[in-house]
Amino acid sequence: MGFLNNYIYYIGAFGLILIGLYIILVKRNLIKVIVGLGILDTGVNLFLISIGYITKGTAPIFSRPGIDSADMVDPVPQALVLTAIVIGVAVLALALSLAIRLYQHYGALNLRKIREQKW
Amino acid sequence: MRRIVSILLLIIVAVGISLSLAKIPFGTSKTKVGRYYIDEGIKETGAVNIVTSVVVNYRGFDTLGEVTVLFIATIGLGAVLTAGGREKIRKTEPASLVLYTGCRLLFPLILVFGTYIFIHGHLTPGGGFQGGAIIASGFLLIYLGCRERRISRVAFNLAESLGGLIFVVIGLLGLAFGDYFLSNFLPKGTANTLFSAGIIPIIYIAIGIKVGSELASIIDNLIEES
Amino acid sequence: MVDPVLLIAVPLGLAFAIPLFALFWKAAVKYIPPVALAFNLVVSLLLLPRVLENSIIVSIGGWQPPFCINLVAGPVGVLFSTIIALVGLLVSVYALDYIKEGATEKYHMLYLLLLTGATGVVLTGDIFNLFVFFEILCISSYSLVAYLRDKASIESAVKYLIQGAVGSSLLLIGIGLLYGLFGTLNMADIAQSIRSVSPVSVFVPMVLIVAGLGIEAAIFPLNAWLPDAHSSAPSSISAILSGIAIEVGLYAVVRVIFTIFGAQSFLPFLALLGILTLLVGEMCAFCQNNIKRMLAYSSIGQIGLILFALAIATSYGVTSGLFQLVSHTLSKALLFLAAGYMIYRAGSMEISALEGMGKKMPLTCLAFTIGVFSLVGLPPFIGFPSKFLIVRAALATKETYFIVLLGLALLGTVIEGAYFFRIIQVLYFKGEKSNPGREEAPVVALIPMFIFVVLIVVVGIYPKLVNEVLNSAASEFLNRLDYIGSILG
Repeated sequence: MGFLNNYIYYIGAFGLILIGLYIILVKRNLIKVIVGLGILDTGVNLFLISIGYITKGTAPIFSRPGIDSADMVDPVPQALVLTAIVIGVAVLALALSLAIRLYQHYGALNLRKIREQKW
Repeated sequence: MRRIVSILLLIIVAVGISLSLAKIPFGTSKTKVGRYYIDEGIKETGAVNIVTSVVVNYRGFDTLGEVTVLFIATIGLGAVLTAGGREKIRKTEPASLVLYTGCRLLFPLILVFGTYIFIHGHLTPGGGFQGGAIIASGFLLIYLGCRERRISRVAFNLAESLGGLIFVVIGLLGLAFGDYFLSNFLPKGTANTLFSAGIIPIIYIAIGIKVGSELASIIDNLIEES
Repeated sequence: MVDPVLLIAVPLGLAFAIPLFALFWKAAVKYIPPVALAFNLVVSLLLLPRVLENSIIVSIGGWQPPFCINLVAGPVGVLFSTIIALVGLLVSVYALDYIKEGATEKYHMLYLLLLTGATGVVLTGDIFNLFVFFEILCISSYSLVAYLRDKASIESAVKYLIQGAVGSSLLLIGIGLLYGLFGTLNMADIAQSIRSVSPVSVFVPMVLIVAGLGIEAAIFPLNAWLPDAHSSAPSSISAILSGIAIEVGLYAVVRVIFTIFGAQSFLPFLALLGILTLLVGEMCAFCQNNIKRMLAYSSIGQIGLILFALAIATSYGVTSGLFQLVSHTLSKALLFLAAGYMIYRAGSMEISALEGMGKKMPLTCLAFTIGVFSLVGLPPFIGFPSKFLIVRAALATKETYFIVLLGLALLGTVIEGAYFFRIIQVLYFKGEKSNPGREEAPVVALIPMFIFVVLIVVVGIYPKLVNEVLNSAASEFLNRLDYIGSILG
């Protein structure tokens, strides 16, 4: 139980990453693959944030003068995740626009059937 | 067959990552760079929110890149979806009076809230991206609730490019006045007040307007198509 | 002294300003990318003599590394940024007339941002900054592949996007693991501390990062997206993708392996991957009937050859790899530019439709032929000294492993010659005997093609012109300790 308590964030992030990868590799519908991409992004962001956590730490904001800075959590992973979330949103928006166009051309979103270019 | 191969691949990836994660215990302090930012952050940048000073000042170049990525996504979406002109607005049934009035009442309040978040980015949790996302959600409310209203695309494009230009120009001014790109050349003021932290509030205002108008124009393009 | 930051900041600012130009002065929009790239070319050429001895380290914001992001304008970085600016400038002049329909101001914005992202990747010294600029490069290329909006383009763009996005996520997981192990994101800082942990714990981040970057660098088996994407994009974009984007991806892989990880034991495996990529690319290209697909598969093959040369990791090896990279960029861009107008006049991308083009468009086909000869490696063009140097580097190692791989590489070159000569035969020696009349490509498109031809011939005859730059670049890759010392002091 102690192990689970300590590592629950890693296990959760890990699980999301694996679920996202499984969806992208196996599913046939393009919208499901895009949802899987979103889940993969969420898992990676959760993983990055949990690297920066310090046990019993607080937010790194000096809101009152005289606050103790000894147990503030690491601010750098939070900055990284800010960037990564925005990049993930950008990719998802572009993917959805391509899915809309693909549906207009083919009438279906089944990736096995959309194979005009073979070899 | 495909499932078996992918499950095998995932097991290999899982084993690999867990082997590596075993060396990174959860909850311990493992940084030297982070500790430096917390200790020297207020003195060097003037912002009491250390995450803001990291995002805008210490790693400001990454933020410039991220703003560019969102810009590219908006343009790419526009290039893929629309042929260049706006198609005719389709007739949809008008919303009920309660919905219409409620949306019109809420819209300015949402805008004010979003603006508050990005103006105070250096004092409280929040910042340009968060405030911009809230502003875009206000626009989404208008598109969904009051369906005949449309915001002009020219205004969105203008807001996007001005926001980006202000960011790059501030960086170049830092190069001109302070010898380094994106150096903090304005006075830092006293900590914990609104007019402190040099260039950080200005950059965050530019980012907030830019992100808000970009996300709103993505929503605009997607709603036109559906 | 010019600040290398301007190489990234000025094109970025101009790209942000293009919507403002589109409102007030629409005709000027298509001239902004050539102006920005000409500026970049001038600045890179000014910086090049100064960085051959000592790299210029620029810190963004004025703090000391490793507490800031720094740009490393060394011989490698400035060499790559010169090539990017030169090829980008020539292709943007070609595109003045080639891109006529669709949302053209969006094309120019995306084009300029793609090249800015590429310049940022080669100049940065911080691994998360590498990820951000790499994403700028990738996302612009997803949008540009889908620019023509027909069935094939959208399908290729979707497949490219999904594979590229998975690659970026793997890259980000690797960066997160590195941060957790070392607490810093600066490349020199990580390189310094890499020996303090056991090799087993850095193996997984290295594999993840190389896999993530390798999808863009088109290393086998991660290159399934490339033939579709490069053949469905407009031809000017195919030239940029084949000539710049995959080379910059390969630069990132090599930078990570040589400088950050210093992984000498991984290199033979990379050489094997390079030869596999080469053989797969050349064999698939042999069976193609669509000319752009054939050129795309040939790009895969050439990247394999460059990777093999770089993995030899001696001074000869890295110099020859960089030389082959320069020669491939120039030749492949020329081939795609020439093929663009040939396809436009013929109306289809099948090779059989290009019969008799040699008489219809003599100048364009002459440029195409010179590109083919240079890629295959015939003297007096640039492909010959570069391939010769690779052979000499592999023989100089005196290890049977590399000599066996070299034999396979030469086999790949023979296959390459075979299919390219088939095209030349179709262009010149077949086709109707009646006089079809000449319909040459417009002058705006011919000028960049002939500048490429001139460069190919001049550097092919006097390879000593670029030898000094390539030697400095090779020594920057191989001497990790100098790199670390110049940044961290």
